[in-house]
Amino acid sequence: MSAAAPAAPAALPGLIWTCAAFTGGVLLHVDRLPLWASGAALVIVAWRLATARRGGWYPGVIARALLALALVALVVARYHTLNGLAAGTTLLLLMAALKLLETRSARDEGVMLGVALFLLLAACLDREALVRAPLYAGEAWLCCAALAVIAAPGLGGGAALKLAGRALLLSLPLAVALFLFFPRLAGAFWAIPQGEQAVTGLSDSMSPGSILALIASYEPAFRVKFTAALPPSAERYWRGPVLHDFDGQTWRAGAVFRTREPLTYLGTAYRYEVALEPSHRRWWLALDTPLASPDAHVLLTYDYQLLAEERVNQPVTYEVVSYTHTGTSLPLDPAARHEDTALPPGANPRTRALAQSLRARAADDADFVHAVLEHLAHGGFVYSLTPERLGANAVDEFLFDTREGFCGHYASAFVTLMRGAGVPARVVTGYLGGEWNPIGRYFVVRQSDAHAWAEVWLAGRGWTRVDPTAVVAPERLRRGILDLMPGALSTPAWLLHRSPWLTQLLQRWDAANNWWSERVVKFDYAAQLELLGRLGIRTPDASYLGWGFMLALCGWLAIIAWHIGRQTRRGALDPLARAYLSLCRKLARAGAAREAHQGPLSFAAAVSARRPDLHQPVHSLLARYAQLRYGRPAPASRARDIGEFRRAVARLHVRRAAPR
Amino acid sequence: MGGAGSVLIQRPRVLLRGGEWLRARTAQWMRRRQGPDQLPVRLARRRLYIVPTRAGLAFAVLLFLMLLAGLNYGNSLALLLTFVLVGFALVVMQQCHRNLLGTELLAVSAPPVFAGTCGKVQLTLGSGGGGARLQLTAALPHSPQKPLDVPPDGAQRLELPLPAPTRGLVRLERLRLATAHPFGLFRAWTWVHTPIEMLVYPQPRGSLPMPAQPGVRHGAQAASAAGTDEWAGLRPFRDGDSPRHVDWKAYAREAPLLVKEYTQGAAELRDFDFARLPLADSEARLSQLARWVVDAEAHGERYGLTLPGVRLAAGHGPEHRHRCLAALALFGTAQAR
Repeated sequence: MSAAAPAAPAALPGLIWTCAAFTGGVLLHVDRLPLWASGAALVIVAWRLATARRGGWYPGVIARALLALALVALVVARYHTLNGLAAGTTLLLLMAALKLLETRSARDEGVMLGVALFLLLAACLDREALVRAPLYAGEAWLCCAALAVIAAPGLGGGAALKLAGRALLLSLPLAVALFLFFPRLAGAFWAIPQGEQAVTGLSDSMSPGSILALIASYEPAFRVKFTAALPPSAERYWRGPVLHDFDGQTWRAGAVFRTREPLTYLGTAYRYEVALEPSHRRWWLALDTPLASPDAHVLLTYDYQLLAEERVNQPVTYEVVSYTHTGTSLPLDPAARHEDTALPPGANPRTRALAQSLRARAADDADFVHAVLEHLAHGGFVYSLTPERLGANAVDEFLFDTREGFCGHYASAFVTLMRGAGVPARVVTGYLGGEWNPIGRYFVVRQSDAHAWAEVWLAGRGWTRVDPTAVVAPERLRRGILDLMPGALSTPAWLLHRSPWLTQLLQRWDAANNWWSERVVKFDYAAQLELLGRLGIRTPDASYLGWGFMLALCGWLAIIAWHIGRQTRRGALDPLARAYLSLCRKLARAGAAREAHQGPLSFAAAVSARRPDLHQPVHSLLARYAQLRYGRPAPASRARDIGEFRRAVARLHVRRAAPR
Repeated sequence: MGGAGSVLIQRPRVLLRGGEWLRARTAQWMRRRQGPDQLPVRLARRRLYIVPTRAGLAFAVLLFLMLLAGLNYGNSLALLLTFVLVGFALVVMQQCHRNLLGTELLAVSAPPVFAGTCGKVQLTLGSGGGGARLQLTAALPHSPQKPLDVPPDGAQRLELPLPAPTRGLVRLERLRLATAHPFGLFRAWTWVHTPIEMLVYPQPRGSLPMPAQPGVRHGAQAASAAGTDEWAGLRPFRDGDSPRHVDWKAYAREAPLLVKEYTQGAAELRDFDFARLPLADSEARLSQLARWVVDAEAHGERYGLTLPGVRLAAGHGPEHRHRCLAALALFGTAQAR
């Protein structure tokens, strides 16, 4: 890409700053992209800088072309596409690194800076967490400073940073106004390809280990803000995937669609707002049991899961109403009864036998549930996050041999016992509890709050929640799993959790994150319209946004022009000159303006001639100024003398000349 | 204009390409709009023009792409980044404009040179009471530019090369002051319509011997070499006088600037006459005359010059030399007196 037009030769400082900006862009992606890609880019940067200092060999055109083809092939081999954020970023990064090898002119350096800014944009698109915002700001600052150095290679690094920092700070008010008022799109221009992403959170299957992986994570899953009443801690079950199919080892969601039967909602209605973190799953979490779907694209299924059409890849906020108690008098649909009493044939025979004997002794299903819970409570069961591994008949081994496990084991065993006696039951996964954040006044529910419980069909009451873990470890309901099982978490997280001071700090940080997520990351067209409504506009639409945006732009431009002008004017004058000018202005108001050609002493003479009454104070002041400005310097007392002069000028009161 | 002496670059309309024609029209429009300038010129708001540079246009395209990406992904952080950079570009525009606004062009001069050498235009730029003016460029049409910084509350001189291929008067109608500082995204510029005239003496050339005037001698030639010039008196300073002849002691006593004049009683008197030169080409004659004037002045001789229609009485000194060479430079041109 050698330019035909002769471009200005690049100076070394420009190259160094360009490399720094590009390196910053690469480092923003270093944990997301393949190591070989970022490594190659950094090696090329180091190579370019070394050869710029000492001279050395550069690959020729053919070598560069071959290298470029090889790198494209590598990217295709890794991602199987060149589309998508990750593949596109990798490709951009590698091609830009190659471009660095032929960077000769200031124009080439400008191209590299553009790439650095694009890498920054890609980083913004990729991750929007508050903790990364300072990194992004720093990279933007670095890019702007590099721009200044490229434009004026003589500029020092500190001066460039200062210049860029000042310009960026001045631009912030406009950026905020544009952010608020620039009309957003409700949809997208073109489809956004979804790349492979790490998946966290609950899934449509549960084996004992899957919950354990979640419990070790301290990441927030979602935050909940209640508008009025808070449900008691024992009722804070957040409903997620409901699992019906059991193969003796793993529980899976059935792929059956049924119509939702009407439900009688009892007790208090809880209205709340959930801010869900991206889980890359389709479930929207809600307090057990949600009344209706919060969104047209989210289905409230027959087993009361909120299932979205799209995976949750962006943070999402929704409002739900839930009741913690429900009932129904309708009978269970036979097909559903069949599904929720099915057990893998032949598996767990001892469990079935136990179930049937307990059922035979019980008066009805409710009594049977009670008996099973009694058995779990007094059968020597232990809550443990490090249970022994289980074999083929996992439930049998758990109930009769190891007798230790956590929520997954207890829910699984309980449902198996129910089904063994022909009572319809299913496993519900979700979260239990949540930590109250007093700063933001919301609950934060973390992955470590993941939980599994059971639901049993009782005639006349319908599906009833039973949490077998609660009878084994009642503490789990009232306190977080971390208090119960301190070892569940990694050491630093545990330390954070134990120190009240650190906990408070953590809560503040979480509140800041929540604010960032709610007010910045999720700010969209709907939020813009809501803002207009709060500004008093009855029927907000995009045209008002346009007006707001134009007003902000013009107002800001006027303020900036005034501010920069003032800076330029004032920057040149020292305190002594400012005091002198202030004195001259006072005298000018009094009718004795200084002519441009008059020095302080001739001005003093002119003032005395025109206003003899002012001779005494003004003459001495002007003589003092002349002495301070042009006299023999006295460095020791100069600052004090200037201060005195300034105060004397401030004290001087000049009466306007009497009208003749 | 016209004639052998004028080298104002003014090609016929048919040769101008579209871009240049447009540029010429713009320049005419600016000239009409701004009117003539009287030094010192303070650059006022009405006459400053500002447009994005090539880098600025590329930056605008980049911002547009970033905006599209941010809108499409519905990504707030990307949009915020884009808006910060939009604000940044607008701040840069203001700063660039402000860097030039209020700058003063205090003085412009172009000392005379001989044809075939490179002359220089000397400019003095003042900060105009504002802060430092950074990375200003001053440019004559078709000349290279070199940025310079003007300190706050100060002035800075710079010299621009101006080629002088042929004798005559080089006259430039305007001068461009520009800056792309800071960041090089925008370029603010203005034209100052102050005529700059540079006198180009004919190139001293030719090997004919100097004509002697034996009748009008004062003393022996040897005495001149010994440097026994006689002091003749004081006269007011005129442009072109050598600073060595200024009476600095008198000046220190707050007298006006005076120049000591000497008479070279021992010097020869020569008369250089255009008409009596045995050369066919008038340019060659002028060059020969210039050679003689330079040599005679160097040897401390008194000399007079006769051109058709011009008669300069015998004299001596830098000012006389300049008068003679100027007469040669302008001989036959529209500016000839």
